[in-house]
Amino acid sequence: MNPFVWRRGKAEKLLSLPVLEECFCACRQLPASMASSKKVVTRDEWERKLRDVKIRKEDMNRLVMNFLVTEGFVDAADKFRIESGTQPDIDLATITDRMEVKKAVQSGNVQEAIEKINDLNPTILDTNPQLYFHLQQQKLIELIRVGKINEALEFAQEELAPRGEENQAFLEEIEKTVALLVFEDVKNCPYGELLDVSQRLKTASEVNAAILTSQSHEKDPKLPSLLKMLIWTQNQLHEKAAYPRISNFSTAALEDPAI
Amino acid sequence: MPAATASGGGARAEEAAASSSSAPSCVGMRPEELAARLAAAGGPGAAAGDGGGAGGEEGEQERVLALREIKNQIIGNRTKKLLYLRLGAVPAVVAALAEPGASPAALVQAAAAAGSFACGVDDGARAVLDAGAAGHLTRLLAHPDEKVVDACARALRMIYQSKQAPKFDVNNEKNMDFLLSLLDSKNENVTELAANIISHSCDSNTEQLALCGAGVPQKLVGLFGGSMNLRDACLDSMTAIIRDNCDVASRFASMDHGKYFRSIVGLIHDRSPRTRLLSCLCLIALGHASPCHFPDRQIKTKLILVLLELIEEPGNVGDEAPLALTTLIKDSVELQKQAFSTNAVVKLSNHLLANSLETRRAVTILFALAELCSKQEESRSQLMSGQVSTLILDALKHDCADIRVAACSCLKNISRSSKVLSAGRISCDTVIAPLVQLLYDSSTSVQIAALGAICNIAVNLTPRKSVLLHSGVVSQLVNLSKSMDPTLRLKSVWALRNIMFLLNPKDKDFILKELTVSTLSSLICDSEHFVQEQTLALVQNLLDGHVDSVNYVIAEDGMVLNAISRQLNSASAPGVCVQGMLVLANMAAGDELNKEAVMDVIVPHQADRIKSSFVVNFLQSKDKQLRVATLWCILNLIYPKCDTSSTRVTRLQNVGVISQVKGMMNDPCLDCKNTRQRLAKEKLGKGALHRDVCREP
Repeated sequence: MNPFVWRRGKAEKLLSLPVLEECFCACRQLPASMASSKKVVTRDEWERKLRDVKIRKEDMNRLVMNFLVTEGFVDAADKFRIESGTQPDIDLATITDRMEVKKAVQSGNVQEAIEKINDLNPTILDTNPQLYFHLQQQKLIELIRVGKINEALEFAQEELAPRGEENQAFLEEIEKTVALLVFEDVKNCPYGELLDVSQRLKTASEVNAAILTSQSHEKDPKLPSLLKMLIWTQNQLHEKAAYPRISNFSTAALEDPAI
Repeated sequence: MPAATASGGGARAEEAAASSSSAPSCVGMRPEELAARLAAAGGPGAAAGDGGGAGGEEGEQERVLALREIKNQIIGNRTKKLLYLRLGAVPAVVAALAEPGASPAALVQAAAAAGSFACGVDDGARAVLDAGAAGHLTRLLAHPDEKVVDACARALRMIYQSKQAPKFDVNNEKNMDFLLSLLDSKNENVTELAANIISHSCDSNTEQLALCGAGVPQKLVGLFGGSMNLRDACLDSMTAIIRDNCDVASRFASMDHGKYFRSIVGLIHDRSPRTRLLSCLCLIALGHASPCHFPDRQIKTKLILVLLELIEEPGNVGDEAPLALTTLIKDSVELQKQAFSTNAVVKLSNHLLANSLETRRAVTILFALAELCSKQEESRSQLMSGQVSTLILDALKHDCADIRVAACSCLKNISRSSKVLSAGRISCDTVIAPLVQLLYDSSTSVQIAALGAICNIAVNLTPRKSVLLHSGVVSQLVNLSKSMDPTLRLKSVWALRNIMFLLNPKDKDFILKELTVSTLSSLICDSEHFVQEQTLALVQNLLDGHVDSVNYVIAEDGMVLNAISRQLNSASAPGVCVQGMLVLANMAAGDELNKEAVMDVIVPHQADRIKSSFVVNFLQSKDKQLRVATLWCILNLIYPKCDTSSTRVTRLQNVGVISQVKGMMNDPCLDCKNTRQRLAKEKLGKGALHRDVCREP
């Protein structure tokens, strides 16, 4: 296939990005044999183009607020609200509650977390069997961690076994968790990762997402998606042109185009 | 609040016992104890502060703790809900809602517990309703404390999501005003409750019209600007108001120059997948209820694309999207074509291949694939040529009944295609054997689905019918034709009818020996007319082209013929009469003996008491098929011209049949007219034989 035709197809999807469109036109004028020689956009030219792009301050502020709220930086969000005048799309008090729940799971206090979720909104765990199961499973893991073997066994039988009867996938999870009881050295057994901090974090983030959803809030902040899109776009553009790209996202510094 | 710990288990009882004497604590308490404590804390005894119960502030605090603990134990936990139900905790919980001086804290906990009992457990919902919770919760929506209002609205939402909840009568003016006031609330929990009530209660035409007349659609669309969950609830109730109601749908579509309609169209590209699905469902309902107000092909194409994308979504949305697609393209050749051209078959197949068959999504995708194959030849061959065809065969043997049903309906629709069938991909042992096996399935819906597929496969199997006949299918079909379930009887007879089509005499005998003449006659007199009709069509195919077959009809003192005669004389459903007359027409094409047997059916013998023959009524029928069938029968009776046929003409004349035929010179139906002309000229070839197959819809 002619490489130009193929690229053109790709580029057409991105017609809304003016830079790319121009670049594609430049490409089309090149003969096929010179496909590898890319158009070069100098740093000056690039910065000039960027200067013409308008961004509204309020949009920026909202993105920042969205990030603070979703990630649960409640004090920062409150300060930012006062200083920038940006209204959060959620009651800031609920962030504190959400963060407390998250912290409870992260530190292994699962029962406390369950009660706090129920105080926050009793319909969350009733309508989300998977989350409820994962919390119960986490509770079992915590019992095993502190060596309360008898309690763990009783809990598994009384509370978890009925969930396993309701759902095959849950049953497999229970079996894996209970298997931890068989090993002397639980940390190094096949399912040892269940005792890892990462398991608590996984459960905590599931809880966090469910609470956000119950509050009609998206469970992921928008800033990371925006950065992801930037990386993807840069990669697309890289095939067609040499331009000052950003590689270090903590500084967002423009690099000189490599020719 | 007592500190909660992760410890439960063995020490619970002692801990609870130890703490209950000092500070009020209920955490970790056994359900029996807790239920008893709640019952003691409530009621007039407790309010008076005497006896064993706790009273006053302390009593109230203890009650809050008991309610909160019960709530925390039952939420998400079906087993615990059932346990507390048995212990009679529900009336005590609801009693806390009824208490006049109850603290907001107690009300919040009691409402949450009541809501949870109603969630996911039918008995729980019934108990909550029986205890009168709905009334108390509704009254408390006017409580000054916003937290109480939130809790009550949430609990009522749980209650109205249960099928056990009674319908909210919107035809009652007071109720409607109340509903409107809920929709106007500033509290989103309350407005969402109003939307849930509408979704739950609105299913009749009058209710839909009442809601539309009260301006509810405008209010619902007005709430789209609220939170995501509220918008989804509003979309769902919009669909309930529009569904199958042409009047409401067309009013809504043209409301404010289509502004409201467009706001729903706008949501099919929303960020939230659930909102996209719900807006698609709303538009699909609108399109079905009022096709003329939804002529925009472009939107329908967009709907197909959006739904195909939604299949990629995890959870419930991805599971339901294929069903929405199925509803959208149902019965529309054009939309099925469009779906095919957007690569729907490939996309759905790939998704099926990439995931396990265990899931609900596999079921819904198979149904969508089945619908795509219902009218589109290209879809059928694409599906059969892909890897998915093997998967469909695996699905026939799957443990889950829903998957087996879905796989059968795929095969049923694929085998509507003569091309696919004659290519031999379906008419082979690998497909037929598992299908026949499914006729023995423990689930009736699987049996019915398998019968559907076998019906269609039998149609085009003419050269290879022996594969089917020797698979043991006939004896099981005969068994099913005696089932208590009318659908099973219908479909098994239908399958036999299609197998009988163009079958050689030896195999026809084989079937009849299994079926027996007495079963055949009782099926002709079945309680359901659609079974009668299919059975008569089966007899038609039996008689076609096979002289000796008539013996079955006149065998055992003409048991079958008598049954047919009874049906025709008792003026059964028109379809039954048509099939009955076609059977007689086929018989009348035979020898003298057969013709006379038919004459005995249509002309009563008692010449003195001349009773008009049902044939005269049939010739006057509004049903043109019945008129044609009857004319064919008469034609076959008086052909060829000879002495005996002249006697028959005379007999027919005596009962007024011939004069009736003469009067039909200008019959509006062309078929009738032509047949009558041939009758008049009496210079015809051999009388026509009727045989027919019919595919499963």
